[in-house]
Amino acid sequence: MRRADLIAGAGLLALGLAFSGMALRRYTYWGPTGPGSGFLPFWLGLAMAVLAAGLLVGAWRSREPGARWLPEGLGLRRLVVVLGVTAGLVVLLKVVGMAVGTVLFLVAILRLVEGIRWTTVLAIAIGAAAFNFLVFTYWLRVPFPVGVLGF
Amino acid sequence: MDFLANLQLGFGIAFTPFNLLMAMAGVTLGTLIGALPGIGPVSGVALLLPLTFGMDPVSGIIMLASLYAGSMYGGTITSVLINTPGESASVVTCIDGYQMALQGRAGPALGVAAIGSFVAGTVGVVLLMLMSPLLARWALSFGPPETFALMLLGLTTVTGLTGDNALKGYMSMVFGLMLAMVGFDIISGDARYAFGINEMLDGVEFLPVAIGLFGLGEVLVGAEQVTDMRILHARYGIRDVMLTSADWARSRWAIARGTVIGFLIGVLPGAGPTIASFLAYTLEKKVSKHPEEFGRGAIEGVASPESANNAASSAAFVPMLTLGIPGSATTAVMLGGLMMWGLRPGPLLFEKNPDFVWGLIASLYIANVMLLVLNIAFIPLFVRALRIPYEILMPLIIIFCVTGAYSLNNKVWDVGVMLVFGVVGYVMKKLDYSPAALTLALVIGPLAERALRQSLIISDAGPAIFLTRPIAAVLTLLALTAVTVPAVRALRQLLRGRARVPAA
Repeated sequence: MRRADLIAGAGLLALGLAFSGMALRRYTYWGPTGPGSGFLPFWLGLAMAVLAAGLLVGAWRSREPGARWLPEGLGLRRLVVVLGVTAGLVVLLKVVGMAVGTVLFLVAILRLVEGIRWTTVLAIAIGAAAFNFLVFTYWLRVPFPVGVLGF
Repeated sequence: MDFLANLQLGFGIAFTPFNLLMAMAGVTLGTLIGALPGIGPVSGVALLLPLTFGMDPVSGIIMLASLYAGSMYGGTITSVLINTPGESASVVTCIDGYQMALQGRAGPALGVAAIGSFVAGTVGVVLLMLMSPLLARWALSFGPPETFALMLLGLTTVTGLTGDNALKGYMSMVFGLMLAMVGFDIISGDARYAFGINEMLDGVEFLPVAIGLFGLGEVLVGAEQVTDMRILHARYGIRDVMLTSADWARSRWAIARGTVIGFLIGVLPGAGPTIASFLAYTLEKKVSKHPEEFGRGAIEGVASPESANNAASSAAFVPMLTLGIPGSATTAVMLGGLMMWGLRPGPLLFEKNPDFVWGLIASLYIANVMLLVLNIAFIPLFVRALRIPYEILMPLIIIFCVTGAYSLNNKVWDVGVMLVFGVVGYVMKKLDYSPAALTLALVIGPLAERALRQSLIISDAGPAIFLTRPIAAVLTLLALTAVTVPAVRALRQLLRGRARVPAA
């Protein structure tokens, strides 16, 4: 946690300063009638910088490394795989379409990660895709991306 | 009396078949969402918000408000039977609720929670109904300085009261406000912080952020935990949840006290059901004649906090409807929904959209009746739902996050934003930041900026305008107190050279 605080503190300090700097350079701090578009962003960036500096100093002076916050072993593996497969779905959404994407995603997680029986996996995946289609496409008329297969 | 006429108007709207159906769907889903650990009312409201876009706003809010009320009932089931809170407002119920279940008294524990919730929820709606129009009328006189001071107070109290780490809470809030600055500035027309990306011109959309933080983020936290939940074998049929007269005698006043404290806390902008339930438990233990029984299955220890969280969830609508300031993280997401439906939150809502406000109030009465029946007669059904393994539930929730984010504008961009904020939400939760403060800041950021700039334009003395007008001054001073107290404490610790290491 201490290292995470140091990294977050440094990153957010830089972000705050950059945010403030950009507000002053690109936008108007004070216009002819009153505060301009750069007024609040300038102060917000500064506030973030001050708070982040506080975090940084606190973490710097603390001796203890603090508790681990990232999981280890099986937990970490699951986290990474779930996140990876979800990111894959988002990237491929336009190519495979929502219906096929839903099925592929659920098969990947349920079968490959959790090792659930094929029959159960397919029932859930097809059921979920059908439910999605009924609610969003049929009822709410959301035009979901269709894949190269045409659905 | 126009009051009764309004209520009649409300019930006329709430009793239409479609709205009754939405209330029924809301309470059922809400109880389920409350009962399932790892998904709470905020995630539920964020995930269901996309479904409401095609509806009349009043039907949408009826479903979401019923869901919120239902989650307060449902959380108890998990606390009592598994000793894991279904959502944060039922954390404290685990203490005595689970002990009661171990002693074979799961039935009365669930029963007293359902009855207490019903009493508190209903009284909460009565008070909401009586108080809101008066508050809204008073708030009509607010100019930009009062509005800004009020928003500042809402932001600082939410931040000060959620999470254990005040510094990180304020960082979350400022980050949310920074995100709110992105996109076209209405006054000058500048495209701020858009970096030439078309999708950023409209700003950071609130819905994908909320779905990411509270939907995907929560699921990721759950995914890494390899848990195995044991549901206690217990009897919770209709006959088992009935209270004996001894139980009733002990819990009667606990319910009354829980209701009062819950409502008072819930009305405060920023303090919601979770805080209310903790305070109610503490109070109950203090006034009890047998405090030694607390922690060993005292029925008051279930009755009071469970009443308090329901009273608070009704009360949270007071600041949201009258002032446009949400009282809890869940109402913050609802407020975002209100704006997406094209309504302007604030004191004018009562005048301009009486059907919306009164339809909501009337349907809250109906929802509480539905919930009482559901939570007395159908507990076994919800317990069965708890047996759905998390491994199956988790990917289904993710699919719902993806479709929900997509359906906002039919753009994959929003799904990407959702994914990014899912990771942000995960990291924030693990490192003690406050996703609730970020969300609230993102929702009211643009409104607060406009009020601030308008105030400074009309002011002859710069920021002093916030201290020269009486109402604005009181609100500003309260907000400043909320900021300085934790700041001074943190500074003192820092100077003493032993900076606080936040608990993991």
